[in-house]
Amino acid sequence: MTANADTLRPPLVTGDKSLGDVTRDVCAPLERRPTGSWWAALAVSSTMLLVGFIAVWYQIATGIGTWGLNKTVGWAFDITNFVFWVGIGHAGTLISAVLFLFRQRWRTAVNRSAEAMTLFAVTCAGIFPLIHMGRPWLFYWMLPYPNTRGSLWVNFKSPLIWDFFAISTYFLVSLVFWYLGLLPDLASIRDRSKGLRRKIFSLVCLGWNGSARTWHRYETVYMLLAGLATPLVFSVHTIVSMDFATSVIPGWHTTIFPPYFVAGAIFSGLAMVLTLMIIARKVMSLENYVTVNHVDKMCKLMLSMGCLVGLAYATEFFMAFFSGNVYEQFVFKNRAKGPFSWAYWTMVTCNVVIPQVLWLKRVRTNLAFVFVIAIFVNIGMWFERFVIIVTSLHRDFLPSSWAGYAPTIIEILTFLGTFGLFFTCFLIFCRFVPVIAIAEVKGVLPAEKREQDDVVERSQEVAA
Amino acid sequence: MNDGTVNKYWKSPESRNRSVAMPERTLDESVAEESAAGTIDRRRFLEAAGFTLSLATVAGCDSARAPDKKALPLIEQPEGMVPGRMRYYASTCSGCSAACGLLAGVRDGRPLKMEGNPEHPLSRGGLCAVGQALPLGLYDSHRLDNPLKDGSNASWGDVDAEIIAALQQIEVSGGAVRMVTDTVTSPTLQASIDDFLSRFADARHVTFDAAGSGSIRRAHEKTHGAAVLPHYLFERADVIVSFGADFLGTWISPVEFTAAWRTRRVPDGPHPKMSYHAQLESRMTLTGSNADERLVIRPEEEGLVLSHLAAILAQRAGVSLTGSELAPAPIAAEQLQDLADRLWEARGRSLIVSASEDDQVQILVNFLNHVLGNYGKTLDMERPSHQQQGSDADVAALVKELRDGKVAALLVAGIDLTHYLPAHEKLVQAISQIPLTVSFAERWNDFAQLAKFVCPDHHILESWLDAEPVRGVFSLVQPTVQPLKGTRSILESLATWSEKPAFAQDVLRTNWQEKVFPRQNRVSDFGTFWDQSLHDGFAKIVTDPVTTSPFDQSAVALFDAAPEVIDYTLILHNTIAIPDSRHAHNPWLQELPDPVSKVTWDNYASVAPETAKELSLQDGDVVRIEAHDSGTTIELPAFVQPGQHPRVLSVALGYGSPGTERFANIGPEWLESKSTVGRNGLVGTNAAPLLVLDDERLLHVRTGVRLTKTAAHHALATTQEHDSLDVPPEVAPLGGERRHAIEETTLVQFAANPKSGSHAHPLGDVQLWAEDHPQEGHAWGMAIDLNACSGCSACLIACQSENNVPVVGRDEVRRQREMHWIRIDRYYSGEGANTTVSHQPMMCQHCDNAPCETVCPVLATVHSEEGLNQQVYNRCVGTRYCANNCPYKVRRFNWFDYPHNDVFENLSLNPDVTVRSRGVMEKCSMCVQRIQEAKIESQCSGEPIVDGQIQPACQQTCPASAIVFGDLNDPDSKVSAAMNTPRSYRVLEELNVRPSVGYLRIVRNRETDTHAEDHHDG
Repeated sequence: MTANADTLRPPLVTGDKSLGDVTRDVCAPLERRPTGSWWAALAVSSTMLLVGFIAVWYQIATGIGTWGLNKTVGWAFDITNFVFWVGIGHAGTLISAVLFLFRQRWRTAVNRSAEAMTLFAVTCAGIFPLIHMGRPWLFYWMLPYPNTRGSLWVNFKSPLIWDFFAISTYFLVSLVFWYLGLLPDLASIRDRSKGLRRKIFSLVCLGWNGSARTWHRYETVYMLLAGLATPLVFSVHTIVSMDFATSVIPGWHTTIFPPYFVAGAIFSGLAMVLTLMIIARKVMSLENYVTVNHVDKMCKLMLSMGCLVGLAYATEFFMAFFSGNVYEQFVFKNRAKGPFSWAYWTMVTCNVVIPQVLWLKRVRTNLAFVFVIAIFVNIGMWFERFVIIVTSLHRDFLPSSWAGYAPTIIEILTFLGTFGLFFTCFLIFCRFVPVIAIAEVKGVLPAEKREQDDVVERSQEVAA
Repeated sequence: MNDGTVNKYWKSPESRNRSVAMPERTLDESVAEESAAGTIDRRRFLEAAGFTLSLATVAGCDSARAPDKKALPLIEQPEGMVPGRMRYYASTCSGCSAACGLLAGVRDGRPLKMEGNPEHPLSRGGLCAVGQALPLGLYDSHRLDNPLKDGSNASWGDVDAEIIAALQQIEVSGGAVRMVTDTVTSPTLQASIDDFLSRFADARHVTFDAAGSGSIRRAHEKTHGAAVLPHYLFERADVIVSFGADFLGTWISPVEFTAAWRTRRVPDGPHPKMSYHAQLESRMTLTGSNADERLVIRPEEEGLVLSHLAAILAQRAGVSLTGSELAPAPIAAEQLQDLADRLWEARGRSLIVSASEDDQVQILVNFLNHVLGNYGKTLDMERPSHQQQGSDADVAALVKELRDGKVAALLVAGIDLTHYLPAHEKLVQAISQIPLTVSFAERWNDFAQLAKFVCPDHHILESWLDAEPVRGVFSLVQPTVQPLKGTRSILESLATWSEKPAFAQDVLRTNWQEKVFPRQNRVSDFGTFWDQSLHDGFAKIVTDPVTTSPFDQSAVALFDAAPEVIDYTLILHNTIAIPDSRHAHNPWLQELPDPVSKVTWDNYASVAPETAKELSLQDGDVVRIEAHDSGTTIELPAFVQPGQHPRVLSVALGYGSPGTERFANIGPEWLESKSTVGRNGLVGTNAAPLLVLDDERLLHVRTGVRLTKTAAHHALATTQEHDSLDVPPEVAPLGGERRHAIEETTLVQFAANPKSGSHAHPLGDVQLWAEDHPQEGHAWGMAIDLNACSGCSACLIACQSENNVPVVGRDEVRRQREMHWIRIDRYYSGEGANTTVSHQPMMCQHCDNAPCETVCPVLATVHSEEGLNQQVYNRCVGTRYCANNCPYKVRRFNWFDYPHNDVFENLSLNPDVTVRSRGVMEKCSMCVQRIQEAKIESQCSGEPIVDGQIQPACQQTCPASAIVFGDLNDPDSKVSAAMNTPRSYRVLEELNVRPSVGYLRIVRNRETDTHAEDHHDG
């Protein structure tokens, strides 16, 4: 990298960090005692998790009747939350795999936490298909395994089966990808620690020795997995969207759903990454690694996704009008003007209108603003799924069966509980695993820093 | 038949080929005596009933009530008695005084399912919701188990001794004995009552119904010299004009009238003809909702409209009618003229009926029917009806006597006397002073709480009784199970207290031998006659006609003044679900959506939309109704009812009955669940305090009531949120303002073009899938004639009884989670007085391209090779995707484990149908258990299944025969024929889901369609 290039692009890591600084800075939070604020955050989130657990327990013990569903609206909070969490997960894979293939090196600052977020979000998402079943203890019937019940297999025509495969594949690939990326960093922690901690990290880093051969193999596998994970970014939400698109219900039965859902998922995922990273960089003193520059880039991506989602909303309306199908037309008018119009307009405001301010660089570089916008997008994307699911169902073909929907306290607490699960996992992750990919960030340091530090570090190792 | 062999009779092939066996008296060989025991638990029930392979045994031992009998298995299995097979016994329904014929389906000694008796001359195979709900009443754990004395348990012996002693004292002292019953259609019971009362110097039998026909009988006394209720023959009427008479819903004999009315509502054929039915009423009754023309007038205006008609028709007939100048009629002159023209053209083929309680109005009705020559044609005076004989005048007289403390003994059977009397708290004191008060109530009710003795009667399915609903039509009630509780037949109670103890069966048989048998000449031997009558369930006897005198016009007086409007007029009426408070204990009926309002578990004050706007009332806002004169007030939720007169309120009676607090926790209980009962701790509010009671009359219509809104709100549990096929204007797409789930046309248009009213979206034969699953055997299908369907909702309860559909309680219904497999969609069109109503039974459409089937991840809903969409409960994991994807929204999910804690009540469950557990989906199966039964039978016998042999529960009970089920692969089947008529269409045909259920378009006998065609899309 020449000095010339540096003037073209702002440095990805600021603060004149050396290689050693990177390791120290990133590992610091793992090596000191947890702060009071960490404990406080953990207390809050684990309480939420506990409350959610109790709500789910109660629901499974009593029945799905403890949710606000009815004969007409058979899915509401459950599947809304499911799609919401799956969507959140998407940014992780996008950042780690797609941006890796496109050689977007700024991703190194956020990819670790984004991938972790993916895993936790998909875990949260996975809870809902399980607990939304009338008889969740029979969930394994969704698996096509040889059984003693005659030749009884699953229905391969059902999008729920596709979903089951898509989500489980996605989770497994994301997990492997994330773990693989962790290996060099786990080795760094091993090198820096003693006693039991060292033993544990020796085990989990799979004997990483930092040799050129290890590095070579590591990077080859990483590249291959990135290639494998990339289609998943698109396939998972495509298949989730087919839960709706293959039905006959107006408002669901739409061919635009796959791209629309994928765009929405990435949109919501980026919003969640921003929400988390803006907090984390502050709390964990990583301002030099996750810089305003990173936030700016992510905002641009988020803005483009927001526009895509906005286009999808408009296209849906146009297609409803253009199709001449009165049921379809009704559903969209009903979204905008019916009993759930407040949800629809919340969605449009949060997802399309508010993100437009991101056109301004001043806004993109003002972290407080970006944080607020990201929160709005999170809310808006939750409402998008709510609008799609509930407004389409609550008034379908026969007016005699039109119904309303309001969540019960159990549903609200269950949703809260998944946030508890997500944040609890994230807080634990922050304590035990480097939130920034040390090895990769070192790769984006200015060349002279890398060389300089190499010498210093090597001499230190020799001295040790 | 007493020799112990079982005679097995086959009914005609049309009647489902089911065997009807004769009950036997095999007492000697199969019944061992056992001392009377107290409560019956499940184990004892099984001992008593389950082991009883011969129901006949059980029936036989009923007669030996007083010492309890134990039923033991027959030593030899009689031929034709197959354990597990349903056997049907002809009997008579006691739900109301209509006394429809029924077949009680009994399986292994357990009465389970009521069916209409297709050969019954009056009900013709139909049975209403109340009749269908009988089994649940039988297995009601809240039925009294033994007699009560001063509210605590007593033995029959002690109670009898005390009552007999008290009666002897009264006999000596000459005190007044008053026996109050609902209409007694039973000649034997009437004879018993008469016999019982004959000992006393001052004794009277007062007939008190929740709704009476006193004014009709008084009017006929004046005009025809005979105080009788004519037998109305709707099947002969080309023009029907009804003044507030809800003859398809609650008036006199709704099942019979529906069947008769329906015969004239079939416009098919080369020259389509239909009866013309005009309804002039103030509240939206079920009958009004089916009328061709519905005119909204206040009840007080009936006389004026009738006077106008009388004036016009008298002039045409050349009858002189004196009267002053008439005030203008409340309906348009051309409408009046049109009605008069139609009536005049249909002389002798028309029928005017009225439910008015005003004698003068009824006299005018008689005059019109007389002028039109309808007597002897559409009204039968020779063989009049014995139904709804309640006499308001007698009741008023009784209340006066009670107040004056003149009654020495008060015996009440059938009706809950005090529940139905206004200002009854003032009577409580008077009644408690009466030396002897006896209630025959099966359950704890208002009067039973006051009575010194409660001597519970058997449930009708445990009783021997008879009925003569219409002169000359005798029917029998036979027990289908050994009495489950320590109750005693009223016949036996009366006989015991007359000191001539006898078994009910003997009383009945003797009465028939002495009074009925001699009046017939078909059979010479009483044994044969009795057996035949018991087998058929009825006997038609040629009787002497009632003598009437020529029409006496002197009583006819015209109403010339327009009645004054004083605040609101209140109508207290009965509902289809709860015809009287006895049925308030039946949770099936409480959860039956009212056919018009779709409200469950409550009564309410119906107000017109205009009134609601004026007082800014929403559904469920609690209103206070106050009577001007008496100052009586009641508070209950309001319900906005389109088609209601703006100055008229209507409230259902029969609610707020004591004992309904038992339903407080009927539904699933969880964190946010709410009680099924209201703030008064009961289901609904008793509106009887607002009845008008003076020394002469007890009236259901009251003028001058004030209506005020209170701050309270009581959410009503309705099963339908949106009332119209018109989508709300703010969200209506251009051209899609109205949905065409219901297609309708007018008779004129239909005659010109049989396809008129069609909104089909022709698709050609678009198929995405290869037709590689041909249905070669049967292809089951169903056709529903919307023109015949009155919306009476009998099918709902039939389905509930057949298919073990759970009751979920008010809160769950409010959350739109009722479980009924069949629902009746009710849609309004038009505004104000022009409100038109359409009813549409909707159940699983068994689509060939079923959207539910493709989306189920575990193949829990699959298509049978006979075209049925099957739900496999065991496989279902409950994702609810199928329900979401159902365009008809007919799938029902088990949100909870619905309570089956009442082990006794569980005996009403049909063992042929799985009781579904929590977390699985369910829906209409087209009574697949009945299809399977017929197929097995056919395989065993080698005979093919004949068309009409399989009848789903909904079809079997339908009083209007609106539902036809059969094999669509059989071109000669009735269902194929129905599907091929030009009126046939399928709901949401444009989705190409290919439903197996077809509907026949509504044809209204109107010149032009004022409502439906306005929104025809291009």
